[in-house]
Amino acid sequence: MSDYAQLILWLIPGAPLIAATVIALFGKLLLGGRSHVPCVAALAVAFAASLMLLVSIVPATFVESSGTGAEYIDEDGQTFVQIDSDTAVSPAKGAVATGYEWLDIGTLNLRIDLRADAIAAIMLAMVTGVSLLVAIFASGYMHGDPGYPRFFAAVSLFVFSMCMLVLAGNFLQLFIFWEAVGLCSYLLIGFWFKKPSAAAAAKKAFVINRIGDFGLITGIFLIWTTFGSTDFSKVLFDAAALARVNTEQPGMIQLICFLLFVGAMGKSAQFPLHVWLPDAMEGPTPVSALIHAATMVTAGVYLVARSTPLFVLAPQAQLFVAGIGAATALISALIALTQYDLKRVMAYSTVSQLGFMFMALGSAAAGREYATFAVMAAMFHLFTHAYFKALLFLASGSVMHSMGDVIDMRRFSGLRSVLPVTHWTFLCGALALAGFPLMAGFWSKDEILAALSNGIAHGQYKTFFTVIFGVAVLTALLTAFYTFRAYFMTFWGPEKFPEEALQPHGHGAHDDAHDHDHSHAPVVHAAASGHEMVHGDARPHDAPPPMAWPLRILAVCAVLIGFVGPAHLFGPYIENTPGLPDVTPHHMSLPLMLLSAIIASVGMGIAYQWYVKAPSIPEKLESGLRPLFKLSHGKFFFDELFTAILVAPLRVIAVCSSLFDKYILDGLVDSVGAIPRLMSQAPRRLHGGLTPAYAATMLIAVLGCVFCVMQLFAAN
Amino acid sequence: MPGKRAIRPLGGLAALGALALGFQLVAGEQNINGAIYVVVSTFCLIAAVLMITNRNPVYAALWFAVVTLCVCGLFLLQSAPFLAAASIIVYAGAIIVTFLFVIMLAQQSGSSGYDQSSRQPLFASIVAFTLLGTMLMTFQSWGEQHAHTQVSEAALPKTIGTATVVHAASRPTEKEQVGELRGLGRALFSDFLFSVEIAGTLLLIASIGAIALAPRRAQGTL
Amino acid sequence: MNGSIHPTLLVSAALFALGAIGFLTRRNLILMILSAEMMLHGVGLAMVTFGQIHQNNEGQIFTIFVLTVAACEAGLALALILSLYHRTKSLDMDLWSALREDDLPSPVGMDSSNSPAEADTRPAQPILTPAGLPLDPKTPLQPTRTSRGETTTHV
Repeated sequence: MSDYAQLILWLIPGAPLIAATVIALFGKLLLGGRSHVPCVAALAVAFAASLMLLVSIVPATFVESSGTGAEYIDEDGQTFVQIDSDTAVSPAKGAVATGYEWLDIGTLNLRIDLRADAIAAIMLAMVTGVSLLVAIFASGYMHGDPGYPRFFAAVSLFVFSMCMLVLAGNFLQLFIFWEAVGLCSYLLIGFWFKKPSAAAAAKKAFVINRIGDFGLITGIFLIWTTFGSTDFSKVLFDAAALARVNTEQPGMIQLICFLLFVGAMGKSAQFPLHVWLPDAMEGPTPVSALIHAATMVTAGVYLVARSTPLFVLAPQAQLFVAGIGAATALISALIALTQYDLKRVMAYSTVSQLGFMFMALGSAAAGREYATFAVMAAMFHLFTHAYFKALLFLASGSVMHSMGDVIDMRRFSGLRSVLPVTHWTFLCGALALAGFPLMAGFWSKDEILAALSNGIAHGQYKTFFTVIFGVAVLTALLTAFYTFRAYFMTFWGPEKFPEEALQPHGHGAHDDAHDHDHSHAPVVHAAASGHEMVHGDARPHDAPPPMAWPLRILAVCAVLIGFVGPAHLFGPYIENTPGLPDVTPHHMSLPLMLLSAIIASVGMGIAYQWYVKAPSIPEKLESGLRPLFKLSHGKFFFDELFTAILVAPLRVIAVCSSLFDKYILDGLVDSVGAIPRLMSQAPRRLHGGLTPAYAATMLIAVLGCVFCVMQLFAAN
Repeated sequence: MPGKRAIRPLGGLAALGALALGFQLVAGEQNINGAIYVVVSTFCLIAAVLMITNRNPVYAALWFAVVTLCVCGLFLLQSAPFLAAASIIVYAGAIIVTFLFVIMLAQQSGSSGYDQSSRQPLFASIVAFTLLGTMLMTFQSWGEQHAHTQVSEAALPKTIGTATVVHAASRPTEKEQVGELRGLGRALFSDFLFSVEIAGTLLLIASIGAIALAPRRAQGTL
Repeated sequence: MNGSIHPTLLVSAALFALGAIGFLTRRNLILMILSAEMMLHGVGLAMVTFGQIHQNNEGQIFTIFVLTVAACEAGLALALILSLYHRTKSLDMDLWSALREDDLPSPVGMDSSNSPAEADTRPAQPILTPAGLPLDPKTPLQPTRTSRGETTTHV
């Protein structure tokens, strides 16, 4: 049994790693346009392994605990901890495969090991599944791009890093792959590195993530100094140690949780570190779907959920999490209201939904017994959100693909009949995001509202959670509105195409600020022109099969996947995660479901009224509420604010440092270098190039030597 | 001015005779060896001075030949007949002739400026004569140490540490003189056999090197 | 003969000194070599004399080796002089002063001799950019040569 478990555990990150290596080594030379084959194959293998893990991990065929069990080393030298579940202090279920001892310095014993439990299995299934679909989509979307092998190598590397992050068995390994996914994100945002905006966006994402990572690594250091280990089994699942630390250093766990959440804020784009995510849309659309909507940005949620045993001891940190989540959700929803860039609307919606997840996680402040439900709600929303947000992004990509890389919603409309596949799949995703009843987003958003209502009903922070609940409801309304605003602006109204979509070749008018994907544009238009020759008129074409099928599959998921919640599959599954507190039975609350259904319908109704029935209303509102519109359209001017209060002083410091370096440090070095030059001024006169002059010098030296020898003789 | 040209060697010879006479007077030795020694050494020094001062490089080379011959004479007087013969063959026979050949080919266009003026003669003379004085002082101090003891092999150290100072075969036997060909040959091919082989190899390498270094040129030119 | 210096040693030292003067003052390449040979004569004479004083053959044997090396040296020197002559058509030593510091004056032309013009045969040296500074596109990385107003007569 253990061999089988180890095999699938190693297969999940191993297959993408092999694919990444193969593509990176041979992609340019041998694979070329077939570079997606190893990537898709590896992701399929990883997905299959993840599914096997998903079904095999919870029946508790292998269980793991901290040290009390019998430990044996199998033939491969890999340690596998096995324990009889009856003797375990707390039912800690999961599989561990130890790779090798990486570092053993003093008390820091660091092993690269793979550790899977229920929450990790769900994450893995979601990550590999979405990655597989996105990779298939990208094989059509990225076709003909000069960086085609590079793209798939980076995507494979990303999936490897993400799986290792999820499978990490200690905080340091988690941090390493936390950075690795950040690196992949950097590489893929800056995929079209010749575009200045893409390079700047990649740099921005990297730098802002560093701020969060600083918090994370500091938190990990604190964990190490406090617990003496970074292993999950010794930090999170050792109830005795947690209780001891909690009584001895009550403030320490608060601090650790706060710092860990700072890390999560950076990675998951929470206010005020959210500014990098919308800019990250400079990358190719599949990357936006995979990394910046479905998987990587949820790493922060995963980290906080994973650290629940710590967070339940730190209610203040949980309140902070909830507050930041609420602020993020509201602010980004407000920004999304007025954006005209389809991908940016989706990006802000991602930020907003991540805020929702953190709100749910923060609701555990109501009491220890509600933590499991809070985690479940957050993870459920993470899970459903991954599917419908990936779908929305891929559908946006499909729209871009057809519109000649134009993404400004003001320049096209009425695409419903031209792009039927894209239209229907986008609609499924939009309904799910808006929380339309029975769609995926409906169930998960409902769970979050239920978790927040727990906070109102119980615990000592009732007022706080009332405000948070209000913000959540308002944000849900705004979400429904802006989602359908984008939907109606794109697919309804009079049929209108930008001229880029109609040009048979080339992409002449590309001074538009929104031409994201112009590197592969010639191929798009070549395909479009081929289409035209058959039909005789210039109309944009819908997604080709490699792009259409992932869309269809994701659309089905977006509609149906939510039913794992009400079907009592998801909640009980995640309760098997080790370290989660005991569960209180939870029942679905009909009034809440009714509330969220009404909210979604109202938001959609307003959008329909304003953007289909009476398109003049938004314009009137825009002119009537000019300052508010500007505030929202300008993204609350966070970038400008950061430039003023952070970048400008730093730039002054940089200029000062540069001057210091140039004139003082360099001057110092130069003056040291000038000493030999000055000292050589006299002797270099001797260096006249004449051989006899050198001979004369030699003779004089011989003279000196003879004198010395004579003196020696005389002394003797 | 043929007259002046005729007077010059005459004056030189007169000076030579005067010098010889002076040396004789100072030394007070009346044997023929001493007289020959004085004449040869004086002539050697005069030839050397002329060699380094003559403006015509051909004459200078010829004066160098004279110096070589005088040195060979001194070799003879120092009981080194084989060395004298070898030097004459090597220097006067080979080196001087080759150099003269080169000089004459190179001087086809007439006298050149660089032979007319010397470079910093005063400085060079001061350095060289200081060197000479130092050497003489060294010799003198050495002579003072050994003046009163008959210099013989017995007085010299046989070994320094473990290294042998005087090779056994280098010592002339009872019946021989120093510098006799028999003793020289015995020493060369017993004690110094490896050195002889190395010297031979060196000659071979040098000849190959000279051929490799010599510039490719058209027939009949340098 | 003051009784303490062997007279042949006197001659040998004088020959050595005169050879040194010749080497320092003559500008003809061949005469410089010959002066060096004269210094070797002085050395050989001294060694022979010491051998005579010590009643030992080693001095003469060493001189034989000196003779051998001198022959090698003369052959190589001749080859070198010929290749130098081949490039400048002159035996002037002063023409070969390329190793001097750049800002020092050339010995050629210091006196008013009618020596032929020198070919600037100094090898091209790359000029390195100071570390940390961006490359200035206006100054190429090509070798720069301080002009000394010399015409190139490379044959």
